[in-house]
Amino acid sequence: MNQFTFTGKQKTFTFSLMFVGLLTALICLFMKGDGLRFWSNFLHNTVFFVGISFISLFILCAKSLAYSGWQTVFKRVWEAMSLFMPIGVIFLLIITLGIKMGWHDLYHWADADSVAHDKLLQAKSPFLNFTNYFLFTLIVGGYWIFTMYAYRRLSLREDNNAGLYSFNKIKALAGVFLFAGGYLACIMIWLWVMSIDAHWYSTMFAWYSAASWLVSTIAFTVLMMIYLQGKGYFPKFTDEHMHDLGKYLFGFSIFWTYLWFSQFMLIWYANIGEETTYFKLRIDEYPVLFYGNLVINFLLPFFVLMRNSTKRKHGTMIFVAIFVFFGHWMDYFQMIKPGVVETEHHLAHAAHDDHGSDTKHLDDAHKDEHKKEDAHKDDHAGDGHDDTHGDGHGDAHEESLRWGFGMPGYIEFGMFAGFLGLFLFVFFTGLGRASLTPENDIYLDESYHHHA
Amino acid sequence: MKGKHKDILFGLYNDETELLDAVHTAHEDGLEIMDVYTPFPVHGLDEAMGLSESRLHIAGFVYGMLGIMTAFGFMTWVFTRDWPIIFGGKPYWSVPAFIPISFELTVLFSAVGMVVTFYVICGLGPGVKNPILHDRITDDKFCVAFETDGLAKDKIDGYRSFFSKTGASEVFEKNI
Repeated sequence: MNQFTFTGKQKTFTFSLMFVGLLTALICLFMKGDGLRFWSNFLHNTVFFVGISFISLFILCAKSLAYSGWQTVFKRVWEAMSLFMPIGVIFLLIITLGIKMGWHDLYHWADADSVAHDKLLQAKSPFLNFTNYFLFTLIVGGYWIFTMYAYRRLSLREDNNAGLYSFNKIKALAGVFLFAGGYLACIMIWLWVMSIDAHWYSTMFAWYSAASWLVSTIAFTVLMMIYLQGKGYFPKFTDEHMHDLGKYLFGFSIFWTYLWFSQFMLIWYANIGEETTYFKLRIDEYPVLFYGNLVINFLLPFFVLMRNSTKRKHGTMIFVAIFVFFGHWMDYFQMIKPGVVETEHHLAHAAHDDHGSDTKHLDDAHKDEHKKEDAHKDDHAGDGHDDTHGDGHGDAHEESLRWGFGMPGYIEFGMFAGFLGLFLFVFFTGLGRASLTPENDIYLDESYHHHA
Repeated sequence: MKGKHKDILFGLYNDETELLDAVHTAHEDGLEIMDVYTPFPVHGLDEAMGLSESRLHIAGFVYGMLGIMTAFGFMTWVFTRDWPIIFGGKPYWSVPAFIPISFELTVLFSAVGMVVTFYVICGLGPGVKNPILHDRITDDKFCVAFETDGLAKDKIDGYRSFFSKTGASEVFEKNI
């Protein structure tokens, strides 16, 4: 079985997932009228899945430049995963359009009034502005898509033309992409995700979120390989390959933890107000998300996958891969949602101020507000009272219980299912378009004889 | 190896595929290999020889746990009981600050502990004399060795025919 067939059953399954996603999105938008929840879910899932396809391409490029051979037997799986990229970039352009048209308030820096009253946002405005967001998404996304299609075309060309033409061309393509695509990905993640907490910045953020993508990509690969093998495809994919994928899952989980901790530790130690806001918000208001993140994404894969033998047991690998995949989806959830809620508060507060009497908060309005607010919070922590400073800003203590923001509700899972269905649909379609083994790849024989 | 001399029959192979095939053949023929010597680690040799998985990494885990507990316990004792100092306005018992050092000691303990354990298991150490079967085993030859102490001649001939069958380039007899 060298040719994957996208069966009717699989189509029904992916379409029903997409239907669930569409349904929950519509419920969210029209029955609940919660635009913020819809758009933050949309951004969250798009970034998560576009990242998986980006990392698939990145691994393929790294593989070809490093003359690494063992993955060749299943490299078509990564190629098929990278095919989601155009759809993801289109979705991101829709979000970009949403900024312009005012469909959503995901980004604090996109609100002209806030910027006018906020020194920090003004200072950042040369980078954080609509033009940049749009152009970077368009050009960098376009460059990713170009590389993805070029890689795919060369890889498919090789099936009919033996020789080193594709090998050398891919090497050149990969050399540029690892450098340019990799560095530009940092800018993209700053714009797409980090700028949600517009006052905050972290130099570790791009690494950290890319590691999150990396682990989810490997987890998804593990799940797909086990599924496809169960269907009788990839007979040459052995436990040796699974063992090495398990090592990737284990190693990159630790890599993720290392970056997570480095980011946290530096900010905690330096204790600079602009930097600590991010963690203070998450630790105080979303402790389940914050600590649960570490349990699922570090402790679980670390202890389960530590032994050699567990990486060869398909049951264990499925268990860990599902948890870790979901865990990194939750990781993105906790990167995005608390910031979105915070922005909502800021905007509500600003609106309230405008209604209020005068212009006394012009310059450092927000800074002062912050100070006052923090003082308030501390008081409450002391006497256990709930907040009394109301006015749309309030109920901070209840954020962790707010469905869709503090905890994913059925709408989040539904939209996740929708995106997963779309991703699987693109994946299966792409897998069916080419033979599963790249017959003329010079590393194929090495890959068959791989020994972990 | 403690002073006891043994007769050993060994053959040298030119590359690791020949060696692996030979080890597989020996396994099928029911010949008991004393040991295999190679200039570098050969993938798949452990399984071919039917060796059980090394337990060295379990020792490594234990040493690692010991390291993390030593580091964490020591810092906890110093900063809460023995000599509490405030650094940068942080509490005395600041767990995030302890993690890098705990990590370092975990690595140090498990690495050093595993090396020492390995030496002890293998009987290596200062002043140990290691009899060498053939110089080129450490260079470019792959060796399969059989113990022939007090064996009948037809058994030894069986080993010799095994070497010629599997394509050993040279066969030697040695008492070490």
